[in-house]
Amino acid sequence: MTVSPMLNRLAAERATGALLRDHGTLYLVDGRVVHAESPASPGLDVLLTTGGRLPREGWDEAVDRAGARREVGRFLVDSGRLHDGELEICHLGAVFDAAFFALAPASGPTRFRYGVGHWFGTVRPVSTEAVERETVRRRELLDSVWPYSAVDTAPVLPRPAAPGQTVTPRRRALLAAADGSRTPADIARRLGRPAFHTLLDVRRLAAAGLVETPLEPLPAAPPAVPTWVGEVAADPDVALLRRLRDALEASL
Amino acid sequence: MANTETALKEATAIDGAIGAALVDYTSGMALGTIGGGKELDLNVAAAGNTDVVRAKVRTMEMLGLNDEIEDILITLGGQYHLIRLLKGRGTNGLFLYLALDKERANLAMARHQLKKIEAELDI
Repeated sequence: MTVSPMLNRLAAERATGALLRDHGTLYLVDGRVVHAESPASPGLDVLLTTGGRLPREGWDEAVDRAGARREVGRFLVDSGRLHDGELEICHLGAVFDAAFFALAPASGPTRFRYGVGHWFGTVRPVSTEAVERETVRRRELLDSVWPYSAVDTAPVLPRPAAPGQTVTPRRRALLAAADGSRTPADIARRLGRPAFHTLLDVRRLAAAGLVETPLEPLPAAPPAVPTWVGEVAADPDVALLRRLRDALEASL
Repeated sequence: MANTETALKEATAIDGAIGAALVDYTSGMALGTIGGGKELDLNVAAAGNTDVVRAKVRTMEMLGLNDEIEDILITLGGQYHLIRLLKGRGTNGLFLYLALDKERANLAMARHQLKKIEAELDI
């Protein structure tokens, strides 16, 4: 399955730059994905600082001192803030999370800006095939869990648990953060968790009856009368209508 | 201080290792794989084994066991599959997955080595 023909083409020509789509941006170096961002998913700063892994000042310092030379990731490791493996895992998690939203089916234009890099710097490049394959797998996984995508964007509304029904600590934290107005994306940001993971948890909770599933908007009702009626009515044949009226009156 | 690639390479150096993967168990995504080959698709194994881990976590919750899973062993006719949950600080739940050839593997040794790899990965 092809997620983005343009992405395949850019990989084939080993392009370097930024692929801008409706729901996010993918950064490529030599045709491989090195970074991704989406307004729908929390950035690496949120993932690292919300859980307390990194103090906010530590992040800001790294951006100030190494952002201009695009080595923020490297700086975090060299300054002893993060371990090598930790940075890699957290960064990969954020890249795949943002890529899932950036590669969502969209109607808007897709543009590529050659030569544009990201200030975070390269950690571990991944192939575009791996990113596409994972994105498709994630879409299918969500639908296999609970095929109602309305829960992804609606405010999360918890429902009471059935007697004996248990919830894991991870999901308890999610439910506790659901105040009736926060969407899964809001909750992800608040808890410092990847957005996809939160969507998946919300779908699982909805499938278990612990979160409301909003009604899907009804499909547009078919028009009650054929469209030609409207066209005719725009230019009524007044003479014919008069004859009809006269005939009806005469027969009464 | 190992990165994921060196950690996985060390895992395949364990006697009898067929393949290994580092897996995010919430999403089921393999963050890295090594070995496996044609007979064992590690990306599929990664996604499938997250269900194993999740089922066990849920069962423990139902039993009210206030404890953590250290590892899970699955014994097949010809292979051992070891799942070791990583206790990282900032992670969303990861496990190391190791497939071993039963004939050539030393299970106690493999568990010990996997524990060592986790410590070196230091997440």
